[in-house]
Amino acid sequence: MTVYWLAFILVSLFVILGGFAWIIIELRRGGPPGKGKKSVNDLDKAYSDIATEDVDHLFNKEFREELRNRGRLRFEKIIDENAMFLKQDLDLTISQLNEYMKQEISKNLDSEFAAYAKAMSDAQQLALATLQRTAADVEEQRLALARALETSVAQREASLIKVYEDNMAKIIEHYVLQALGEQFDMKTQLPYIIKQMEENKQAISEDMRA
Amino acid sequence: MSEAAVPVVTLPATLIGRVDLSRLVREVESVDNDFEVQKVRDHKAADGLSIPMMSRSLSDFLELNKIDITDPQARMTLKHQLGVMKDKSPTIRMVFASEPEPQSVQQLVAWIRQEIHPGALLTIGLQPGIIGGVYMRTPNHVHDFTVRTLLAGKRDLIRSELEAVLKQPPVQPAPVHQPVEATA
Repeated sequence: MTVYWLAFILVSLFVILGGFAWIIIELRRGGPPGKGKKSVNDLDKAYSDIATEDVDHLFNKEFREELRNRGRLRFEKIIDENAMFLKQDLDLTISQLNEYMKQEISKNLDSEFAAYAKAMSDAQQLALATLQRTAADVEEQRLALARALETSVAQREASLIKVYEDNMAKIIEHYVLQALGEQFDMKTQLPYIIKQMEENKQAISEDMRA
Repeated sequence: MSEAAVPVVTLPATLIGRVDLSRLVREVESVDNDFEVQKVRDHKAADGLSIPMMSRSLSDFLELNKIDITDPQARMTLKHQLGVMKDKSPTIRMVFASEPEPQSVQQLVAWIRQEIHPGALLTIGLQPGIIGGVYMRTPNHVHDFTVRTLLAGKRDLIRSELEAVLKQPPVQPAPVHQPVEATA
């Protein structure tokens, strides 16, 4: 409202000054030159009085109110128009700005997304290649280790079996020798001896009768 | 040496080897000499001779073969037969791990004379290393019935048993259930 009031006052002042200027111009052009010889001061005074009277007559209270109303309406109209134009410009600008921002953001986002996707793809490819290489290395090492373990286990097993084969029977035989050396009773052996001789009776008989 | 060349007399089980047979021969000769002395010195008839003291082995032998020792012809035949047997009877050497009981040896001799040869003689040897059984040597062959040889022949059995044990899957220990502590 302050701005409106300020504009209204300025317009009123311009109108008043314009009125004064018009009056002065008319007085210099249309006044009768020989109406009497008065002094300049008197003339000035008379003109001043006339002007004051005319001003009072011209710019009376109703006229000023009318001017004020007209000026207010005009000013409001101008303000409304300007506001409308400003709003239209502002809406247009905002819409353009929004569109521009949208395009820029989309462009930037697209580029960033493309770069991100490319970086992700590269990183994925690199990680995949690294994993594949690592897996291949690990598999190769595992196979080598498995082969080494199998060889070692087979050698160890063969060695143990050979030791068993070479020594176990002798150990057990030695143990039986030491444990049963003189503990066998002849009476318990007799059925075994007779059985063995019975099985070889034919050969023994032939040898004895030869 | 043929079976026909060896006189068929039944040897008692107490007569084991050639030494016993030699002792028997000597005793028969001694008895024969004693009878001859009686006949020459005392002029006794054959049925009047006093029988000298004889060993258990000779008594068993005479009783087993039903020989009249007072008969000079029988004594002569017996001496001849025993001499031939002493020289020609087949001998089997049997080696044991420990000293065999006389009863066991007599059983063996009886079985051999019944099943293999009636005039077979034994010589006994000792070899503790054979553990058990008998190492028997006939005139031309060796028969090894010792436990040591039996064990040596069963080494593959030990090996196969060990391999079977090694090939068995390891036995998983049963889970031990911890007692649940009672909550207050």
